[in-house]
Amino acid sequence: MSERHHVIVGMGITGNEAAITLRRREPQSRITIVTLASLLFYNRYDLPQVFRGKHDWREFLVHPPAFYDDNRITVRRNSRVANVDPLNKVMTLEHKEDIPYDTLLVATGGRGWIPEELAEFRPLMQGFGSFEQAITVARALPEGGGRVVMLGGDMIGLDLARTLIDTGHRVTLVAGEQTFWPHQVSAERRPAFVAALETMGVEVVEQDSVGGVAQIAQGAKGLPARKVVFRDGSELMADVVMPFYGIQPAIDFMGRTGVDVERGLLVNPELRTTDAAIWAAGDVCQIWSQEENRYRFYYGWRNVRAMGEVAAGNMTGGNDAFVADQDEKLEIDAEGRLVSPFWEYA
Amino acid sequence: MDATDIQILIVGSAGDGTIAAGNILRQALAEAGYKVISFDVYPPEIRGFGKCIARMRATIEQAYSLKQQSDVMLSLDDSHAIPHVAEVRDWGAVLYESKPVANAPQGHITGHIRPGQIPYGCAIREISEKATGANRSRNIVALGYLAGLYRLPREAFHAIIDRQFKKRGAEVASVNRKAFDEGYAAGAGAFKLDDVAFGPPKPNVVPGTVVEMINGNAAVVKGCLDAGIDCFFGYPITPATTIMERLATEMPRHGKRLVQTEDEISAISATIGAGFAGTRSATATSGPGLSLMQEMLGLGTMAEVPSVVFVSQRGGPSTGMPTKTEQSDLNSALFGGHGDAPRIVMAPTNVEGCYRCAGKAFEMAEAYQTPVIVLLDLYLSNRYETVAFGQKSPFEPDVNKRPRKQDLGAGYKRFALVEGGVSPRAVPGDAGGMHIVTGLEHNELGRPADSAEMHLAMCDKRLDKLKGALVHPDFTVAKRFGAMGKAAVGLLAWGSTFGECLEAMFQAEKEGIDCSAMKVVMLSPFPEEAVSAFMDDCAAVLVPELNHDGQFARLVQGTLGRKVVKLTRVPGVPMRVSDILGEIRRLAGRNLPQAAE
Repeated sequence: MSERHHVIVGMGITGNEAAITLRRREPQSRITIVTLASLLFYNRYDLPQVFRGKHDWREFLVHPPAFYDDNRITVRRNSRVANVDPLNKVMTLEHKEDIPYDTLLVATGGRGWIPEELAEFRPLMQGFGSFEQAITVARALPEGGGRVVMLGGDMIGLDLARTLIDTGHRVTLVAGEQTFWPHQVSAERRPAFVAALETMGVEVVEQDSVGGVAQIAQGAKGLPARKVVFRDGSELMADVVMPFYGIQPAIDFMGRTGVDVERGLLVNPELRTTDAAIWAAGDVCQIWSQEENRYRFYYGWRNVRAMGEVAAGNMTGGNDAFVADQDEKLEIDAEGRLVSPFWEYA
Repeated sequence: MDATDIQILIVGSAGDGTIAAGNILRQALAEAGYKVISFDVYPPEIRGFGKCIARMRATIEQAYSLKQQSDVMLSLDDSHAIPHVAEVRDWGAVLYESKPVANAPQGHITGHIRPGQIPYGCAIREISEKATGANRSRNIVALGYLAGLYRLPREAFHAIIDRQFKKRGAEVASVNRKAFDEGYAAGAGAFKLDDVAFGPPKPNVVPGTVVEMINGNAAVVKGCLDAGIDCFFGYPITPATTIMERLATEMPRHGKRLVQTEDEISAISATIGAGFAGTRSATATSGPGLSLMQEMLGLGTMAEVPSVVFVSQRGGPSTGMPTKTEQSDLNSALFGGHGDAPRIVMAPTNVEGCYRCAGKAFEMAEAYQTPVIVLLDLYLSNRYETVAFGQKSPFEPDVNKRPRKQDLGAGYKRFALVEGGVSPRAVPGDAGGMHIVTGLEHNELGRPADSAEMHLAMCDKRLDKLKGALVHPDFTVAKRFGAMGKAAVGLLAWGSTFGECLEAMFQAEKEGIDCSAMKVVMLSPFPEEAVSAFMDDCAAVLVPELNHDGQFARLVQGTLGRKVVKLTRVPGVPMRVSDILGEIRRLAGRNLPQAAE
């Protein structure tokens, strides 16, 4: 029992918290984290700091490299999982290496979702999901102040918008259904929240008023690098165009496992999937909610960190249910500015 | 990093083109203006088995040794590279094949990259196949990736690739360029996360010199040619073979003669014969060959014939470790053979020294009429450094002591007992210079004579004349570095290990330890005065060397009757700077943690 091999896929807050918990509970077991990233676990909530001149990724690291050596946690970076074979408890990496596991935790989180009609313009848009992407955006913006067009807008994007405006950049939000994702905002309250955004300095263009985005093109020579063309023929010039339409779970590699999937991996309150050796935690899973009588996602750093801890505890003999611990209410403060609990990180 | 000091490690299997890639890279770095020191390790097998490593360190000022830790590693074969991953420092980079056909028995390299290192995966094989239709250019693609990642000047690589492949046709060069460019584009497109950065190089500004990227054996060849070598007799033996190979290319162009002999005895015999005939002649070998040459070297001493023997040491005894370095032939070079047979033995400590010693060996062989052994080792023979050479040869073309007309004729005394011991030498063809030369003890005329008095006089002569080598013009027999005056620890070293000693000394100085180092180039005759004076200044004297018994330490102790501290290693690779530094700290009474290199 004590020399089991726990494999965690994903190195965000959830995966990292799970690894620490596993090590605490089972000092002898093998722990491997497999991640697509090149870097060790860093604080993604801090990424807007790149616009305040923080460009050394080492400053974003939550733990120094020695932490992983000291805790005997093997980290396999730049590694994509190609398949999981639950029958033989073997995971295959894209570079054709098999990794046997005793327990598997899927904590791959989500990747930015882009609506189908915008997919063809992907090469002309900049994501914001990693340090590398954040620096790429920072480098693309002129020093004296650039212009960013955000498509969609969600709480990740709007958090970034705050920093961009603070650091002298102009942000135009092409607002739509996902603007306040993952908050659920009623049609009645939406205008007040949009107004709050404008108070914060965000220029808002409602997609409805322009008929949506028709095309994203490269800017002509001497002009900003990108041009957003709307269906009504109007245009917006920008140095960077960034899509923020919420996230979708990164679970492609789980397709042939036979575990139950809806939009995310379906797990019980103890975070176990329908395979006894596979758990899931974080933005990647939908957890059964007895109260709501449905599987639902839980977002926010408090929730995903707690999920990592709960899953690891249950992988090592525990039987605790996940209890959400994240305020999900979107509000407007006394100065008329938007306040989201998803922007908090400690 | 403030100043460029970057060590790159390329690891692959024999046949992967590891050394070829390293060769292109070090040339490109040198031509870009960086000072480079480089050393390759390869297996005795030709293809498909052993590990090949090319290591190079690029700096602004010339470094003295390789660093213990590398900044960048490029894996062309994970099974061989995995054991070396730990050599890469934190925040350094590991470049590897991201889509291998099969994985190493130890698993993919990503499972071994340490948390502090930055992984860069590249589909090397796929790019090679796309660019050239074959996977043979994997090494060039990988090299291109590395060059692109660090924004090294693409043109420099193009020029070297063209040079390297031109013999195989323009098409081959063009295909390799394409492979390089595709790799370069992939590297330039990668997001660079490590902290390795090449600063601006410092161009060579010494007027009248030309900087060359050259290894020890090539420097020996250049020294031979600049000294006016006439004849070379050799045979293939690792790690000396390339001396003969290069000379075979160069000597005919200069109207000189090279003969590949059937064995070691033939090579040394012919060398001594050619020396007797008045030419500048040499051979090259390694430890096993030196053993076989000992009897003839005795003849060279007895007959007072100039000859030069280059000995590149490797792991021994017997066949030993032909592709591993060692400094274990010192005793054999100094004392090998029978009888009292003193000879000149010198050991360069760096690549430039290989050039100087090679040229000076011919001068000294001629000036003191004796065999001269130049002791190299595999590390030095194969080590590349950037060296600034003058455009004019610094070597004297003829230092023969010729007989006066009146001394020639029937009574010509070839072995005249003269002050200093160097008798005027006639060579075959000199009118009136006919004389007898024999391996027997002889009198001044060369006729056999074995009286006690004559034997003593001739023994004295053969020994005394060598003293001149200690004051030979424009030759450094020993040199002190670091703190002058009193020092807590003195490092006394010879041969290739001296570079590691210097690096250790610099680090010890940074830690506040009074440390000094002396390189001893002339090993026989031994520079007693200089070494004694150095030891007088040092509270403790440490002798690091790559042999098991401490051959040089014993030489020092036996010659001077003074105690030294041995530091011996036989790993087959250069000594670790940290090992030397650890001993320095211990001797200085320090108990400090090992400094990061």
